[in-house]
Amino acid sequence: MTQAISVEEIKAAMEAAVPGCRAEILRNESPSAQHSLLIDHEHAVNVAAFLRDDMALRLDFCSCVSGVDWPDREITEKVKVKKTVTTPEGEAQEQDVEETRKTMIPGFLEAVYHLFSIEKKHGPVVLRMRTVNRGGDARLPSLTPVWRSAEFQEREAFDLYGIVFEGHPDLRRILMWEGFADYPMRKDYVPPAEDDVEAVAK
Amino acid sequence: MDQELKIELSKHGIFTTTFEELYNWGRKNSVWPLTFGLACCAIEMIATTMARYDLARFGAEVFRASPRQADLMIVSGTVTKKMAPQVVRLYNQMPEPKYVIAMGACAISGGPFRDGYNVLKGIDRYIPVDVHIPGCPPRPEALMHAFITLQKKIDAQQLTGEERPRHLKANEPSEFPVPEFGEHGLEPAQNPDVFHPLRILGQ
Amino acid sequence: MVVADNPWMTIVLLLFGALAFGTAPLALAWLWSKKFSPRKPGPDKNSIYECGLESEGDAWVRFHASYYLYAIVFLIFDVEAVFLLPFAVSFTRLSAGACIAMLVFLLLLVEGLIWAWQKGVLTWA
Repeated sequence: MTQAISVEEIKAAMEAAVPGCRAEILRNESPSAQHSLLIDHEHAVNVAAFLRDDMALRLDFCSCVSGVDWPDREITEKVKVKKTVTTPEGEAQEQDVEETRKTMIPGFLEAVYHLFSIEKKHGPVVLRMRTVNRGGDARLPSLTPVWRSAEFQEREAFDLYGIVFEGHPDLRRILMWEGFADYPMRKDYVPPAEDDVEAVAK
Repeated sequence: MDQELKIELSKHGIFTTTFEELYNWGRKNSVWPLTFGLACCAIEMIATTMARYDLARFGAEVFRASPRQADLMIVSGTVTKKMAPQVVRLYNQMPEPKYVIAMGACAISGGPFRDGYNVLKGIDRYIPVDVHIPGCPPRPEALMHAFITLQKKIDAQQLTGEERPRHLKANEPSEFPVPEFGEHGLEPAQNPDVFHPLRILGQ
Repeated sequence: MVVADNPWMTIVLLLFGALAFGTAPLALAWLWSKKFSPRKPGPDKNSIYECGLESEGDAWVRFHASYYLYAIVFLIFDVEAVFLLPFAVSFTRLSAGACIAMLVFLLLLVEGLIWAWQKGVLTWA
């Protein structure tokens, strides 16, 4: 499979076809160089329909839907700041002081779609969508109306990551049972403490 | 009758036996397993029954497709938490006397998936297991060894007295509670009447 | 003795022997279980076997009416074959009237088949 059309071209075509859509290219610097397109929620279904139906692209096959969990991150950086410091002699003096700054980068959940064209024999084109946060607003538009093959995989992402796909025809848990409360593929999931042989033996 | 006299008599062509021996001899040579495989270990179990290893030599040729006619449950493979209630229910539906071989690392302890969210940490949490086979997967020879071990166990079971097995005691249960799907896992996580890890550890 | 001389006596004896051969092990097994192994019925053991799942709903459900059409069409052509066989066997000896009667019978059934075909009964789904 070859990537016949570059992501930049796809992005330009997308923005031309779907007015108002915001796409961002996320670069993959590894040798595979599978750059992906981050698309916005409001225009996602229209963009997906365009990618499927456009005569040059014809991305008629969604081979894979994956969930990714990006937990809240704290970035610590050391910054040099000029500050006025009072020296022991009683003089006000400007000095370079090192300061540690902590920035919280809020986490989010991500759905990654790998698209191929069976007709044109090219791909993959990687689409990404990100939720606002990992809590109550973990919602994404469902692309099942565009690609039927996304149905079970979106259900799986819902089951294991808790991404709510709006517009999905049948959003139920698929691997775990109904009534299961956790999302076990999230990074902060802790399996229940079941009495282990080792624990009992201690 | 003492054993020496029995051996002496058999030297002269006189065969003596007891009801208990006859009963156990009949039972141990017609242990019918349940047709039932859970994961990759099931392939080894199938290989064991085929011509090369031929479990039929030991009287286990008929794999019954219904628990009503089966004596032995070979738990061959990973028991996921979603499957565990079904396995326990199948065990409950088997008539007494019934035996369980837990085959492979997953069935005895959860194996490589032990720390996962979806795999039961050994089927002996819910049903009494007679023979555990380690291995991932165990070879057919190991399953046959387990089967012969089970036959020896059946052969040693007494018909009367306090030491008689569970199925001959009226007050011992024949069914075990089926776990329910809970919010975070199976509830209860194990059946304390059945699960004796200390006994497994030999303490 | 009259009874012993009866030529059927051997058969009667064999009959009883055969019956005993069949029932004696069953009776012994029943007695054995009475003596040694207690009965242990339970809600799970007595429940319907559904490969370990709990059975849902009733097995007495309604089937769609179109299945009855299949059944009737099958039955008619099954019966047709039953009538056709003796007809075919004695074909050379039959009079012209009998042949015409049989042809009318076949024609009626073919008409039914054409009707069913046109109604779309024979196409699945």
